[in-house]
Amino acid sequence: MRLATVTLTLTTVTLHAADLDATALLARLTRPPPDTTAFVEVRYSALLDRPIAVSGQLEHLEDGALVRRVEVPYRETMELRGENVLVDRAGSKPRSFSLDRAPELRGMLSSFGSLLKGDRKSLERYFVMTVLGSDARWRIELIPRDEKLKRRLDTIVVDGSLDRPRCFTLNEPDGDASVMALGVQGPTELPQPLERASLAAWCSGDTGH
Amino acid sequence: MTRIRQGLLLAVWIAALGVLGWAVDRNLVVGSDLRLFMPSPRTPQERLLLEEIGEGPASRMLLLTISGADPESAATTSRALVAALRKSEEFRWVTNGESSLDEIPDRLLAYRYLLSPTLDLAAYDESFLRAQLDERLRDLASPAAGLLETWLPRDPTLELLKLAESWQPQIQPQLLFDVWFDSAGHHALLVAETRAPGFDPQGQRTAADTLQQAFASVRTAPDLTLEASGPGAFSVLMQERTQGEAQRLGSLAAAGMVILLLVAYRSVPVLVLGLLPLVSAGLAGLAVVSAVFGTVHGITLAFGFTLIGVAQDYPMHLFSHQRYGLDPRDNVRALWPTLATGVASTCVAYVAFLFSGVRGLAQLSVFTVAGLAVAGLTTRYLLPPLVPARGRDAAESELLGRLWQRIAGLPRPLWLGVTVAMLCVGLLWLSPRPLWQDELGGLTPVPRVLIEKDTALRRELGAPDVRYLLVIQGRDDQAVLAHAAGLDPQLSVLVAERALEGFDHAARYLPTRARQEHRRAALPDPEVLRKSLDAAMRQMPFRSGVFASFLEDVERARQLPSLGPQDLAGTPLEARVDSLLFEQDGHWTGLVTMTGLKNPAALAHLVNDGTGITLLDLKQASEDLVAHQRERILWCLAGAAVLLALVVYVALRDAARVRRVLAPMALTTLVVLALLHVAGVSLSLFHLIALVLAAGLGLDYALFFERAADDPAEQRRTLHAVLVCSLSTLMVFALLALSTLPVLKAIGLTVAAGVVCNFVLALLLTRPSGTSSDGR
Repeated sequence: MRLATVTLTLTTVTLHAADLDATALLARLTRPPPDTTAFVEVRYSALLDRPIAVSGQLEHLEDGALVRRVEVPYRETMELRGENVLVDRAGSKPRSFSLDRAPELRGMLSSFGSLLKGDRKSLERYFVMTVLGSDARWRIELIPRDEKLKRRLDTIVVDGSLDRPRCFTLNEPDGDASVMALGVQGPTELPQPLERASLAAWCSGDTGH
Repeated sequence: MTRIRQGLLLAVWIAALGVLGWAVDRNLVVGSDLRLFMPSPRTPQERLLLEEIGEGPASRMLLLTISGADPESAATTSRALVAALRKSEEFRWVTNGESSLDEIPDRLLAYRYLLSPTLDLAAYDESFLRAQLDERLRDLASPAAGLLETWLPRDPTLELLKLAESWQPQIQPQLLFDVWFDSAGHHALLVAETRAPGFDPQGQRTAADTLQQAFASVRTAPDLTLEASGPGAFSVLMQERTQGEAQRLGSLAAAGMVILLLVAYRSVPVLVLGLLPLVSAGLAGLAVVSAVFGTVHGITLAFGFTLIGVAQDYPMHLFSHQRYGLDPRDNVRALWPTLATGVASTCVAYVAFLFSGVRGLAQLSVFTVAGLAVAGLTTRYLLPPLVPARGRDAAESELLGRLWQRIAGLPRPLWLGVTVAMLCVGLLWLSPRPLWQDELGGLTPVPRVLIEKDTALRRELGAPDVRYLLVIQGRDDQAVLAHAAGLDPQLSVLVAERALEGFDHAARYLPTRARQEHRRAALPDPEVLRKSLDAAMRQMPFRSGVFASFLEDVERARQLPSLGPQDLAGTPLEARVDSLLFEQDGHWTGLVTMTGLKNPAALAHLVNDGTGITLLDLKQASEDLVAHQRERILWCLAGAAVLLALVVYVALRDAARVRRVLAPMALTTLVVLALLHVAGVSLSLFHLIALVLAAGLGLDYALFFERAADDPAEQRRTLHAVLVCSLSTLMVFALLALSTLPVLKAIGLTVAAGVVCNFVLALLLTRPSGTSSDGR
């Protein structure tokens, strides 16, 4: 009996030796709700000649809902419950829409949720996952499997060190991107000006910290 | 007559029937618009009512539910079904609540500035544009950026989105995965409008087939099912069920009839011959109706064949009086005065229906008169040469003799007849319950379960109230649109006061030309707009020149002619505006539909203040219409009764005999009416038709009994004939009475009760007093 278990464990180890890192990493990233993290999100768009940045708090509630609370430069709450997104912006009436309408958003949120739960299975259902780097400086790259999602979302890159994700980057096929830096109180803590290359470098840990 | 000549005559007759049948089949167009059996309208309001009932948006609307699997696959299927149905010819429009910008055709995109109310409240100046761009920056910084990004260069004020949202119904079910769902979140909901009117079962049948095919091809999970509810779906269902059940019961009745006739006459040739007058009657009736009216309504066919069932009795009188050695031609000559009186009086009575004001009933009248006349004449002239001169004499039957003696021995309580009549009249007179079924729906009854499901679904969907409508009349489309738009403030107050949940009218989609032109004039010229935009964009991170296509669209809008109802052809707005704004008899009519109207009286001041606005209570109006129709039919029936009595009087020329013949059927009519009422049945058109049939049968029974008054042998033969006739009729209609369908049940019960009552009363009341020597 014991022998069988040992053999089984050995086989599993051999088969997944290359990925062992990923499973362990995901396990370390798990955060039980409720959990709150400060964030700064920087948006790069072809419509804009310089990026825009907002900062606030990300909350993972006990009922599984995700809340993105923008505090600066204006107030806006976005709540994700199941498949429905409710956006409540100061000065206008609340709007809601379904994740079906925004595949890139679904991609980002489902990967985000899976990371919070350490749910590798669900991650690999939607994405091809590659893990690079070391425990101290790691990077998870997610490429969508779904063709429809691929048209809207190129890759999701999660950079971090040890048990902390640092940046969540969404690259869109048209070159637009948004970078969410976690555990950061305001844009001033990020490299100035908010050039894409320097922010990417900051995320991968080349400067600061 | 030799066998050869008999064979020849039979062959010619059957061949003639074949030719007639072929001709009828070639030219017969069976209509199925149930409104043919509804009253003809007298006022414009009644015309509008009938239009609304048959053609209006409410009648074409199908409520669809997709259920059976997880909500997500139901939602995906819902979306695919909408896409498939938008391509189909059978549907005018279909929606599942998804506000998609792709719905708006490219040539109309620039019209957003004329259609959206934004320019009524704001100018496209620097401060407005700055506020809008500020909002757009926030959108871009939100996770929903990807949704809007492609539209922003062309539409930075999101005018298109505002329009698409404003076109959604005011009251909506919850959205799951962006499509409508019931409040429990199990069923995806959709609304579709068919091109075929609701009461066109054939058109609705095609639409239902298209619907199921489209669903089968887009279904994303095998467990998913699609259900449709609404007037159209009901008319398909009812037609199927009525046809199916009538066919089942009909075959049973036919089998029973064959057995009964074989037992009664013990001859196969007689059985076949007995059918010939009836078949001739049916074909002749069809030929005449299609010659006179062009089309024959399906219900005319069904009712017509029910009514000419009397014709089945004619040959039976001949057969029952046939005996060995008697030339059938002599036999028929002796019977003819009585038979002719019956045929003529029934025909004359049916003529009264020509003046009922209901086209379906007029068809029915022509069909029945032609059919019965042909049945009578063929029985008189074509049938006798074919009947074998042998045959058992019914008068020799011991059983019948004893039976007749038994009957003769019965007391003849004339006072009882009078008492029963008075009792019935008193009961009908004094009963607090209404005698009649006033609902128009009573004509086309749908099972209660389905109605309740439909009502619940309507509530979920926030579908407009089917009872109340505000009707706006005007000399042209613009006057009506202006009037409708003018109601907005008052209606919005009602919504705020919760007297009303929501409303809809054409001006919500299509503003008046004046309003559009006003907005167009408010659009700044290109130079001014460019300067305002540049000023607004100062200090903002937007790339310069990114809004070039916005400037182009505004300039295009400045050159556009305003949109009228005719310009909407081929757009998603067409169906919605068409059903709420239409031209009728040279003037325009606009409808304001309402959802969740709590208190119709709250609308009274809108109606009183405004000129040309009326509150149409479809329920009240249709009940008035039905009551009016009934009154007219009852007058027709009264006329028919007088004519019938007159014909009988001319034939019999003796007041006492006339009284004896007419008393059973008059009393029967009263008794059946009272019985139905006591049983809790509200009377409809169907009961009236059935009562007329029962009266016709009763008249024949009484005529023959009266004829046989003095001769014991004739009495037995007559008893045989009437027994066979009434048993066969009773069997057919008792079977119909077993039907689960209200229409068939109503007819079956009424006629079956009428036959029993007529038979008993004819026996009791039509023997002349004191002269029934037999057995005394």
